[in-house]
Amino acid sequence: MFGNWRFQRLPSAHPGVAFAARAAAVIAALVFTGIILAIAGANPIELAAEVIDSSFGSSFGLEDLALLFIPLILTGLAVTVAQQIGTWNIGAEGQFYLGAFSATAVGLFVPGPPALILVLMFFAGIVGGMLWILIPTLARAYANVNELITTLLLNFVAALLVYYVSTGPWRDRVGLANSATPRLSAEVPEFWGIVHWGLPVAVLVVIATAAVFTFSRWGYEVRLSGSNPSAAKYAGIPVRRHLITVMLLSGGVAGLAGMLEIAGTVHRLQGGISNNFGYLGIMVAVLARGSSIGVIFSAALMAFILNSGIILQTQGLTTSAVLAMTGLILFLTAIGDELSHYRITREKT
Amino acid sequence: MNETAPHFTPPAGTPPIVQLRGIAKYFPGVIANQDVDLEVHPGEIHALLGENGAGKSTLMNILTGIYQADAGEIIIDGYKREFASPQQAIAAGIGMVHQHFKLVQAFTVAENIHLGWDDTPRRASAAKLERRTADLAKRFNLQVRPGARISDLSTGEQQRVEILRVLARQARVLILDEPTAVLTPAEARELFSALRNFVAEGNAVFFISHKLDEVLEISDRITILRGGRKIATEKASDCDPRMLAKLMVGRDIVLDDMRARPQGAAPVSTEPVLSLKNVTAKGDDGSPALHDINLAVHAGEIVGIAGVAGNGQRELSQALTGVRPVTSGQIIVDGKPMGGRNAAAYAAGGIGHIPEDRLHSGLAPALSITINAVMREYMKPPITNAGVYNPAAATTLSKEIAEAADVAIPDYGMPIRNLSGGNQQRLVARREMRIANKVLVAAYPSRGLDVGAINTMLRYIVELRDAGAGIVLISEELEELLNLSDRIAVLYEGRIMGELENQNIDIDEIGLLMGGRTQSTETREVA
Repeated sequence: MFGNWRFQRLPSAHPGVAFAARAAAVIAALVFTGIILAIAGANPIELAAEVIDSSFGSSFGLEDLALLFIPLILTGLAVTVAQQIGTWNIGAEGQFYLGAFSATAVGLFVPGPPALILVLMFFAGIVGGMLWILIPTLARAYANVNELITTLLLNFVAALLVYYVSTGPWRDRVGLANSATPRLSAEVPEFWGIVHWGLPVAVLVVIATAAVFTFSRWGYEVRLSGSNPSAAKYAGIPVRRHLITVMLLSGGVAGLAGMLEIAGTVHRLQGGISNNFGYLGIMVAVLARGSSIGVIFSAALMAFILNSGIILQTQGLTTSAVLAMTGLILFLTAIGDELSHYRITREKT
Repeated sequence: MNETAPHFTPPAGTPPIVQLRGIAKYFPGVIANQDVDLEVHPGEIHALLGENGAGKSTLMNILTGIYQADAGEIIIDGYKREFASPQQAIAAGIGMVHQHFKLVQAFTVAENIHLGWDDTPRRASAAKLERRTADLAKRFNLQVRPGARISDLSTGEQQRVEILRVLARQARVLILDEPTAVLTPAEARELFSALRNFVAEGNAVFFISHKLDEVLEISDRITILRGGRKIATEKASDCDPRMLAKLMVGRDIVLDDMRARPQGAAPVSTEPVLSLKNVTAKGDDGSPALHDINLAVHAGEIVGIAGVAGNGQRELSQALTGVRPVTSGQIIVDGKPMGGRNAAAYAAGGIGHIPEDRLHSGLAPALSITINAVMREYMKPPITNAGVYNPAAATTLSKEIAEAADVAIPDYGMPIRNLSGGNQQRLVARREMRIANKVLVAAYPSRGLDVGAINTMLRYIVELRDAGAGIVLISEELEELLNLSDRIAVLYEGRIMGELENQNIDIDEIGLLMGGRTQSTETREVA
């Protein structure tokens, strides 16, 4: 059927081939989406032009993009951090909510100068995220309970908790917003239009994390434990202790994302504050392939897709079309990654 | 032989139920089987005896269609057959119960029996399947609980389910691979009586084992394999353990003695550098795996551990290196008890460890060569200073280790799984030798390697001995043990059956000890 042509699987993909496969996957996903939009009666070329113009044509577009970029960097990083020790944190969504919740609690109820409150909110956000991943972490470390399930299920609890406080006890009773808390007075300052200092903070957190994993003894031990726990035990590395630390760190990073969203972008707690950033973080991490620095690039792509979705909705498209597009990119990237391991050779018979 | 069931005598002129002619099977670089001729008659229990790697399992995998023979033919009831899959073999009445059961843990007994079976009714309730299972159990006289989940059953019960699964598919030839390895003595007796009943109806059994006593007890005839070839087929009534051990281990051991010390080699120390006192340890499943082990290793000597794999070697090597905690007893290194310390402390104390399964426990296959090469020294300067890991220093050390191991590496950043098994093993060996200034525990260091790589490995070990380290060499290759060891201890079912000075050693005696016989029982029973 294939004549003398043979597929040969290589043990590792050439970096250039891997990159080309990913680029091809993204382009193919966009082309597929375009075809589907055309079938649905839209003009894909016009829509694409509109998206590019709205995203990059003005400072406003770029600012919107940046605001989506910040939480995606951090939730993507949270999932990537957990991957280093071989676990899947599917609960960045819930930890994001708890980070937002804890930061809001401090902002609403602790008196003091705004600068001090902001610092307290920063730590409250991180601690909130850590607390939300604590039970799945201990369950995994001591009873080997799969963290996929526990972290995922806690997302729903967190979402309902935030929904309850923002429409119930913490509801704004003075202003017009009926389903959110009052506006918080402590704010992360802005440095470019509506873009706040959370952006450089997020990028710094990524760089610091990457540095720790690459240039510390602890990072070495974590990478070894994540890649092969039996080899780590053989080398006498305390695998369980590292597992707990790394999972808590992952939860803390997701919590920080929630805090920055509250204190920098939205300024009040409301139901659905997470905007699915936690789940999208999984996709960011998958695209980054375990590289902390790679998270910055894949978060940028993800932010662009999200932003395109918002623009397309103003053009009368549904959110489903956007979801389909993100799904297609993930799907085709997975295929591309696998295919980049193959070489086609011709056998002489 | 103790007959508990009426013996089946086939009518004259009945062809053998299974006949193998000139079977050969080759794997890259390995002859798994060659020129194997074998026949089994209705009513017969036929044992296949041999050391690990003698080709017993490969031969049976060919008969059941898991592998296809590279030469030779399979003749069933006088007709030549070819099996492309286990399904075709079972359709011809040949079924195998593997050493590692192939049951679905979360399913019930009844569900496992009916899984993937053409006779399973299309619409069946749990109650109906359980009723059918109960009927089958009654018919074959195998006690099982149809409604129980596999995960709740003892290994003996799981084995009965496996056997029932095969028998329910109308098998007339039942192949059992090391069936008693997982059974208690009482369970083994039950199994034997079930097997006798089975062959009394004109069926046949292949019984793979390396235990001499049970082979003599259960089988009618015994075929001994060694190095993939058939050595002999004998009537069990004509055999005794000593003779079987000799056939199994083989006389033609090539001695390339490496025990002599060159000038300037470190002498054997008077005090042991490592000693085990009444050490007991548990296996992964929590059952006792090591019983009351006493062993002393002196600096500058090699102590060989002989035995068939799976008799506690893995647990012993892990206990010796702090990877597996001991439940009682003491491990003493250089006069200091090591109680409660972890593997890192053992390594820091000068104990190196070449693990038996390098890919699964000695290396992280997906990580780079550098990361793997520095696994023992990453925590020390120059690689780590004040908690800061220096990748460049790690690569430098990694290059040093690769040069000592004589492995050419194009890219130290590539995953170590890209290297060949021999190169991986050399890197692991060199990595461990660097820290093993007191003791090296080498488990199956030559497993899976070609002749050249094996020689290199053994040379490394001798080099380290001459440098004054004590060596524990765990191996299934008797030849290797005889050539290197100063003393040989034989491990059987987690116990040391005996310790022999390696001088004019009686190979038959090692064979007997490996088969679970001590000298005293041997003289009593054979006399």
